[in-house]
Amino acid sequence: MQYPEPIAKLIESYMKLPGIGNKTATRLAFYTIDMQQDDVTDFAKALVAAQRDLHYCSICGNITEEDPCLICRDKQRDQSTVLVVETPKDIMTLERMHEYHGLYHVLHGVLSPIEGKGPKDINIASLLKRLQNDAIKEVIIATNATPEGEATATYLSRLIKPAGIKVTRLAHGLSVGSDIEYADEMTLMKAVEGRQEM
Amino acid sequence: MYLEQLQLTNYRNYQHLDVDFSPGVNVLLGANAQGKTNLLEAIYVLALTKSHRTHNEKDFINWQATFAKISGTVQKSSGRVPLELLIGKKGKSAKINHLEQAKLSQYVGQLNVILFAPEDLSLVKGAPAVRRRFIDMEFGQMSPRYLYNVSQYKQVLRQRNQYLKQLKYRQADDQTFLGVLSDQLAQYGSAIITQRLDFLTKLEGWAQTLHQDISKGKEKLTFDYVQHLKGQATLKQALQVDTAHEIELGTTLVGPHRDDVRFLVNGKNVQTFGSQGQQRTTALAVKLAEIDLMKAQTGEYPILLLDDVLSELDDARQTHLLKALQHKVQTFLTTTSLSGVAKTMIEAPRVFQIQGGHLKRRTKVNG
Repeated sequence: MQYPEPIAKLIESYMKLPGIGNKTATRLAFYTIDMQQDDVTDFAKALVAAQRDLHYCSICGNITEEDPCLICRDKQRDQSTVLVVETPKDIMTLERMHEYHGLYHVLHGVLSPIEGKGPKDINIASLLKRLQNDAIKEVIIATNATPEGEATATYLSRLIKPAGIKVTRLAHGLSVGSDIEYADEMTLMKAVEGRQEM
Repeated sequence: MYLEQLQLTNYRNYQHLDVDFSPGVNVLLGANAQGKTNLLEAIYVLALTKSHRTHNEKDFINWQATFAKISGTVQKSSGRVPLELLIGKKGKSAKINHLEQAKLSQYVGQLNVILFAPEDLSLVKGAPAVRRRFIDMEFGQMSPRYLYNVSQYKQVLRQRNQYLKQLKYRQADDQTFLGVLSDQLAQYGSAIITQRLDFLTKLEGWAQTLHQDISKGKEKLTFDYVQHLKGQATLKQALQVDTAHEIELGTTLVGPHRDDVRFLVNGKNVQTFGSQGQQRTTALAVKLAEIDLMKAQTGEYPILLLDDVLSELDDARQTHLLKALQHKVQTFLTTTSLSGVAKTMIEAPRVFQIQGGHLKRRTKVNG
């Protein structure tokens, strides 16, 4: 017994999403059949709109409805610092802090030859173009603390530093409000290495 | 620490066993295929929950039974600890002091053992990869930092090798990025080498004393850490020369993943110039030096398991070996005949006669 074609196609579509296999997709598809017609229409519209109306900002690479993005257009923000991140999600996380008021740049990945990502495959060229603008005095690199993140940070600093721009890297160490007791050995080691005089 | 008691239920060819051990030397005596190594294996499994002989845990269970149980009491400087390991068809569960442990990783480490089996001769005779694995395993247990550096190094090495291949096939052309990868590799690599040299110096000191005792002071054992730096002073520099050749081959040619340790007896490489006996003595000394290294790191001596090791040593080497261990480490050794050991021992060991899965304590050493 085969599923009728419309539902089979729906199951197949759900299975294209990450973390969803055959069983979950089937459950979601049957749920969709029983949904209110308006909800289904909105759902379908949202899916199409998300792709149609969203663009990558031509300056920083963040996702945005209008190009350039809100952050890049905001003249109140500190135009002299650029914080470099791996993904647009990282910007959302950093914005929640409400303490950083500079600009961002999204790399869309890190340098990783194993995954076929070289310097030309991530958003580095547009960063270098931005830096030709004299207003930028400091680049903060906030790639993840993985070997690939570190390599990307070192690579960027080698390209940017000769131009006389300050390059900094986020600190490693203990998370705030946590007990030393529960920290793993490597985090502690980094925290001891990066200790500060009081 | 030492193992005071051991109980086995349905473990391989032992249906029921309940035995008290001596804190000194315990000799397991018996003909072939009677269960000597099975008993050593049971102690090893009680310590590490894994066997050195098989990955298939159903093998532990006697073929007539549905589960196997190993339990024992360990005497430590902090007190007595009862341990229990239950092996069923579906998995294992472990208890410390009668309390079930949620994770086996919490259980491992209660009982420390070092096993020396005939296969360990490959430490001296085998390929460099065998010695690197030994170093990484042993030092990794003692230093989380070493373990971290090794895992980071391996990851960067994979990236660099892949990038060298991409440069070879002109899929990439950025030399700056290669420089970044080289420097990153050199950073983790140098940290690994520094730690290896430090650990090896400590290990060498202990191995030297042991080796001297076993060889009656006639031979001097030294370690030589071999790096191939292409005539450069540091790894960082060595990774910068000859990149053309590396690109051609698509692989990284220098670094700790290519290094080796040479064991020298009186200045000669024992791998190529040593006799069988010298190679065996060297492997034994290196392995036994771990005992002292572990004591220095954890504050407690481990238990030593010697599987059929004595048969290939001459009487004098046996005497000195056993003397070196006697008042320090609880030792279990298997042998098919007692004469050599018994005659050369100064203090009588506790001897168990093993026959078809049954243990009998022998009161008389000779005979």
